[in-house]
Amino acid sequence: MRQFIGSIVRRHPEGITISLVVLISLGFAVITQGSWLSVGNLQSISQLTAVLAVMAFGEAIVIATGEIDISVGSVSGIGALTFLGLAPIAGSGIALLAALACGILIGAMNGVFVALVGIPSLLVTLGSLFLFQGIGYAVTSGFSFAATNTVRQQFVYNAVGGGGFAEVNTGVIWALVILVVLQLVVFEAPVGNRILAVGGDAGSSFSRGVNVGRIKFGVFVVSGVLAAFAGVLDAAFIGYADGSFGATMELSAIAAAVLGGCHLAGGRISLIGTLFGAFILRGIQSFLIILGVQPQWYILVVGLIVVLASLADRTLTRLALKK
Amino acid sequence: MRTEIDGKTDQAIDSKKPLISIKNVSLSYGNFQALTDVSVDFYQGELVGLVGDNGAGKTTLIRIISGIIPPTYGEVYFDGERITKFHPKKAIDLGLECIQQTIGICDNLSVGRNYFLGREPIKRIFGLPFLDKKKIRETSAKVVHDFGLRDTVDVDDEIALLSGGEKQTFKIARAVTFRNRVIIMDEPTNHLSVRERAHVNELAVQLKRQGLLVIYITHDIFQIHRIADRIVILENGRKVTDVPRDAMNLENLEEIIRDGGRAPAKGVKSA
Repeated sequence: MRQFIGSIVRRHPEGITISLVVLISLGFAVITQGSWLSVGNLQSISQLTAVLAVMAFGEAIVIATGEIDISVGSVSGIGALTFLGLAPIAGSGIALLAALACGILIGAMNGVFVALVGIPSLLVTLGSLFLFQGIGYAVTSGFSFAATNTVRQQFVYNAVGGGGFAEVNTGVIWALVILVVLQLVVFEAPVGNRILAVGGDAGSSFSRGVNVGRIKFGVFVVSGVLAAFAGVLDAAFIGYADGSFGATMELSAIAAAVLGGCHLAGGRISLIGTLFGAFILRGIQSFLIILGVQPQWYILVVGLIVVLASLADRTLTRLALKK
Repeated sequence: MRTEIDGKTDQAIDSKKPLISIKNVSLSYGNFQALTDVSVDFYQGELVGLVGDNGAGKTTLIRIISGIIPPTYGEVYFDGERITKFHPKKAIDLGLECIQQTIGICDNLSVGRNYFLGREPIKRIFGLPFLDKKKIRETSAKVVHDFGLRDTVDVDDEIALLSGGEKQTFKIARAVTFRNRVIIMDEPTNHLSVRERAHVNELAVQLKRQGLLVIYITHDIFQIHRIADRIVILENGRKVTDVPRDAMNLENLEEIIRDGGRAPAKGVKSA
């Protein structure tokens, strides 16, 4: 029996997250007398989940290498501001490219300091978190950027979260597409094998000829571009963004990844689990709103969930690796 | 460079060009001098025992040879060509495989994925490189079976589930089943049972007979004296002896290691 549970946990770390999704969905639906499970609410949760998941996928890939990126919230803010700031002037297509370019650049900067200079990623990305949040506040100087009516009519704007497709926000479709691509890269491609290897044992990977520095640099670039894209998806949905856009989102992104079965020590991640992790967090947030609980309590709940998830993760990993 | 003992030299080996040539290599970690002016040649088709006490510099020397760290001074030649870029990938591409004591396995990956780490077989789908999982599974399963690992070992399982001895056997299996020219074994028989130990030693001799260069690092002078063609002794980061096995009996060997080459054994002239 234990062996059976062990092999399930080993090969399908997202299994527990998915069971949790089913449980809380039922629980919330009953408690809210169905309104949590209404079409409108699920649409709203799925849009919010998509944004968080895109960011958390990048986070998960960084966690896979044993590093962490706590700048994703600020980077999403920069992505959102770049997109909404440029769209009225240059059109949403150019604005999107510029926002993604910002994400790539910030990711590359983080990557250089971690992979080449060798500074711990927690410190490097803590610096980026403050730096780009500061820049966000500086460029908006207390005001917000909003999408003009012309921009709202543009195809690209609607294709990146501003509009929907058969009642589904385009952000949700993007999240699923990105999930499929990353799932293939991490679990089906050679580079994925090396990403996981670096997180498992960087020294051993290096001795097998893996370019550890390049892998670490690469995951920070991926995390940067996905965070910026998440910012765009959310900004296009909301239609405006201020200097605080994306603040504390990094906490939710890390929580989603951990909740989804990603091992903070590296080497073991689940992207499907991360998607469901994001769904649980957003589901709880929506549940609290329906109950009329003050939104500040959400952060407390996220904190509790991360602690409990880490504890469960440790116990299960131990169980899974028992000989 | 080679030590002459009682006027004897190994003509057959000397007439060949060395496969790996270490010339005046020194390496320091900060203030600590791990290797000082070491020069040694290794030839194809020989089994060289690299012995010495703890901290003698054996592991440092093989880390240089396998590209993990570049030397502070000195030159390394492979097949007559000077190595300028030190990276494990380069060494592996040249056909040099190193079985190291503490590294070489990622516990979080499956047995199959560990087997192919760094040289994953790919199949192209729409021109994109994907892991050839079928090949990974089949090849590694065959290797694991051929090297006598438990039948219950599933190559899709994480390698962390294997015991210390099994992991060691796995590393050896991985090293010898790829087409290589040089196999370096760093204390390969640690964690192994008596039977497995004999098997590894037999394997080392077999590889040598197939024309490979085998560099065998060990503390166990009895073992190495039995199987090596030549014995190189390091002491405090310097090479103190480099002689054909036949030129030295076990007593000499023990004496040199014990005295750190300061008082060469009778009849043996140090390099």
